[in-house]
Amino acid sequence: MIGPMRAAMMVLMMTLLPVGAVRADGDPVRGEARFQECAACHKLEAGANEVGPSLHGIFTRKAGELADFRFSPAMKRSGIVWTPETLEQYIADPQATVPANRMPYAGMASASDRADLIAYLSKATK
Amino acid sequence: MVTKLKEVDVVIVGLGWTGGILAKELTEAGLKVVALERGAQRTSENDYSLPNIRDELRYVVRHDLMQNTARDTITVRNNPQQESLPMRRLGSFLPGEVVGGSGVHWSGHTWRWTDMEFKIRSNYEERYGRKSLPDDMTIQDWGISYAELEPYYDKFEYTAAVSGKAGNIGGQIRAGGNPFEAPRARDYPLPPLTPILASEMFTNAARDAGYHPFPRPSANASQPYTNPDGSKFGGCQYCGYCQRFGCEANAKGSPHMTVIPIAMRSPNFELRTNSWVTKVLKDSDGKRVTGVTYTNVLNGEEFEQPATIVLLCAYAINNVHLMLLSGIGTPYDPVAQNGVIGKNYCYQTGAGATLFFEGKYFNPFMNAGGSNATIDDFNSNWAFDRAPHDFVGGYVVAGGFNTPLPIGYRPVPSGTPQWGSEWKRATAKWYQTAMVINASGSVMANRYNCYDLDPTYRNAFGQPLMRMTFDYKDNEHKMGGHAAQTINTIAKSMNPTRLNPASARTDPWTVVPYQSTHNTGGTIMGTNPRDSALNKYLQSWDCHNLFVIGANVFPHNSAYNPTGPVGALAYWTADAIKNRYLKNPGPLVQA
Repeated sequence: MIGPMRAAMMVLMMTLLPVGAVRADGDPVRGEARFQECAACHKLEAGANEVGPSLHGIFTRKAGELADFRFSPAMKRSGIVWTPETLEQYIADPQATVPANRMPYAGMASASDRADLIAYLSKATK
Repeated sequence: MVTKLKEVDVVIVGLGWTGGILAKELTEAGLKVVALERGAQRTSENDYSLPNIRDELRYVVRHDLMQNTARDTITVRNNPQQESLPMRRLGSFLPGEVVGGSGVHWSGHTWRWTDMEFKIRSNYEERYGRKSLPDDMTIQDWGISYAELEPYYDKFEYTAAVSGKAGNIGGQIRAGGNPFEAPRARDYPLPPLTPILASEMFTNAARDAGYHPFPRPSANASQPYTNPDGSKFGGCQYCGYCQRFGCEANAKGSPHMTVIPIAMRSPNFELRTNSWVTKVLKDSDGKRVTGVTYTNVLNGEEFEQPATIVLLCAYAINNVHLMLLSGIGTPYDPVAQNGVIGKNYCYQTGAGATLFFEGKYFNPFMNAGGSNATIDDFNSNWAFDRAPHDFVGGYVVAGGFNTPLPIGYRPVPSGTPQWGSEWKRATAKWYQTAMVINASGSVMANRYNCYDLDPTYRNAFGQPLMRMTFDYKDNEHKMGGHAAQTINTIAKSMNPTRLNPASARTDPWTVVPYQSTHNTGGTIMGTNPRDSALNKYLQSWDCHNLFVIGANVFPHNSAYNPTGPVGALAYWTADAIKNRYLKNPGPLVQA
C-alpha cells in the first residue's frame, strides 16, 4: 500500500509546489556550512567527479549530462534542467523528485537551509 | 624465479586500518613505504556506490569483500584430541581482503579498552587472590596503560568520525554517556546517532532496571564531518547496509577514505595490490628481518621486497600465520607451556533474545551500524562483584539493530516452522515488529586455545595452513549464563507479545554460523620475551625491525569490539617508530 500512496502524494506535491519557490534571501555564508552535507561526495572543481558528480557549472547543465560520470538511468531520464529552483526542489526530497536516483541523501528539510545552500552554490559552482 | 626488488625503508603487509595509519604516518615522516595488499583496490565512488552496494547475495552470501578461502584458510578443532579440518567457507568470522581491509565492512563500533583489561591479572589477583584464577587461564597484563593510550584513542576517534557521548571527561561523570568508561580528555568528535525506536525502548527498560544505558559509540558520522587530516565524511543516512558493506554515503570511518588516500598522495608511498606475502625474511643471525617475499596472485610472479623495517598489518590471524611460517619467535606449545607464537588465541561469546511486539513498527531496514543502546554495567564496572558468579571478564548488552538485512533477517517466534506457508505468514507478520537484545562477552585466554601450523593441509602457495584450536571454557559458559539472565530480565520487563529468550551457549564452538570477526591473540604484547611475542610498542622481541600490529597483540579478548585499541595502538606504534626507533634503531624495551 505504501508504494502507490507515496506515489500519489508525490504527484500531488509536485503539482502543488509553486515554480520558483526558492527563497531569495538565502545567505551564501551560511550556505557554505550547509554544503558540508554534500562535500563528502561532491566537489566544486570542474571534472572532479567522486562518489557524486562535480557540481561545477551545474546551473548551466541538464541532469545526467556530464559524460564522465555514471548517472542513474532515473537521473538521465528525469529531464530536469538545473536551475536554483529545480535544485532546491530536488534537494528537499531527492527520492520523491527523482525516484530511483542513486544519491544516498535523505533530503534537506528546512526551506531556509536550502535557500542558503542554493545561494552558496550559485556563486561557488561558477 | 624470485625477482629481487630495490630496498625500501618500510614494507607494510596488509593495507587496512593499521597498515593505512602507519603508511600515512611514516610517509609523512619522510620514509619510503611500500604496502602489499592481497586484495584489490576498490573505492567508494566506483564500488561502494548505489545501487550496486546494496547486494546481499554478493556481499553477505558470496563474501565479496572477504578472504578467498580457496587460496588460504585455516583448519579448526575444539581441542588437541580432535583432528583439525579446513574451514572451506567463511562463517564464524570474516577477514577482509581489499584495500581498507575489514575496516571497509565493519560496523564502526569503537570502544576504549581500559586498565580493566590491560592489568587484568593484577586486578583479579589483588581483589580476589592469586588462587581465584584457574590454572589453565593464561591471562596476563599487557604491559601498557590506559593513560599511555588515551591520546591515541583520541586520535583514532577523531580520524574515524566516532559518534557518541562521553561518560567521563577528566574524571567527571557525564549524564547520558558510559559512566564506567575511563577518563577521556575530551568528548567524541560527533554527537550520538539519532536513536531508533528499538534502542529507545531498550534504554528505558535498562534504566528502569537500574542500569546505565548510553548510545553505542561508533564510527558512523552522525552529521557531516571533516577530520583533522581533511578527510570529508557525509552524514549517516541510516540506510541499513553497514556491516559487511562499504558505505555509500562516506559516513562510516574507513581507511580507504581517510588515511590511505592521504598516504597515496605522497610520492614516498607505493601500493601494490593483489600481492600475497608468503614469508618474512631474516638475516643470518636471526636478529633482524630483511624484507618479505610475495606473490602476485594475478600472474603467479614472485618477488622479494627488501626493507629496513617490516610491519605486519594483515588480519589478526594472518599476522600470526606469517610469524609461524617465517620461523620468527618460538612457536607456542600448550603441553609444555613454552614458546609464544600462537599463544592466547581468544574469541568472543554472547547471548541474544528476540522480542516481538504486536502493534509496534521498528522499521528494521532503517538504522546505522551503531544505532543501538548499550549497557556496560557488567564489563568495565569493577564494582560488579564477579565472585558470586564465579567468572572472570564481562559482557556488554545492547538493544537495537545492526544491519538487519532485508533478506537475511527473518525474526519469527520460536516454534514457527522453518519453511512453508506458515513460516511465510509468520515472517510477514513479525518482520516489522521484532527487536533484538544481544550480549557480547569476553573470552579469557586458556592454555589450550592457540594457533599452530597444520600438519596436513596446505594453501595455494604450498604452505601449511594455520590451525586454530579453540573452545569456550567453563568461565565463558558461566558468564554466558549470567548475560542471558540479564537480557531476559530486561526483555521481560518490556512486556513483549512473544519472546525468544536468551540462553547461555554450552555447545562447542563451531565455524558456522557467523558470530564475530573479533579474533585476538597469537602474537601477544607483554612485559618480557618469555611470556609475549612483542613488547609494548608491538616490536618483536626477536627481531627489532619487525612490528606486528592488530588484534593479534591482545593477550585476551574483552567484551568490547577491538577496533578502538587496534587503531590507537597503530598510532602509538607509529609514534614509537618516528620518535624513537628511527633515531636509534634497536629494541625499544630491553628484555
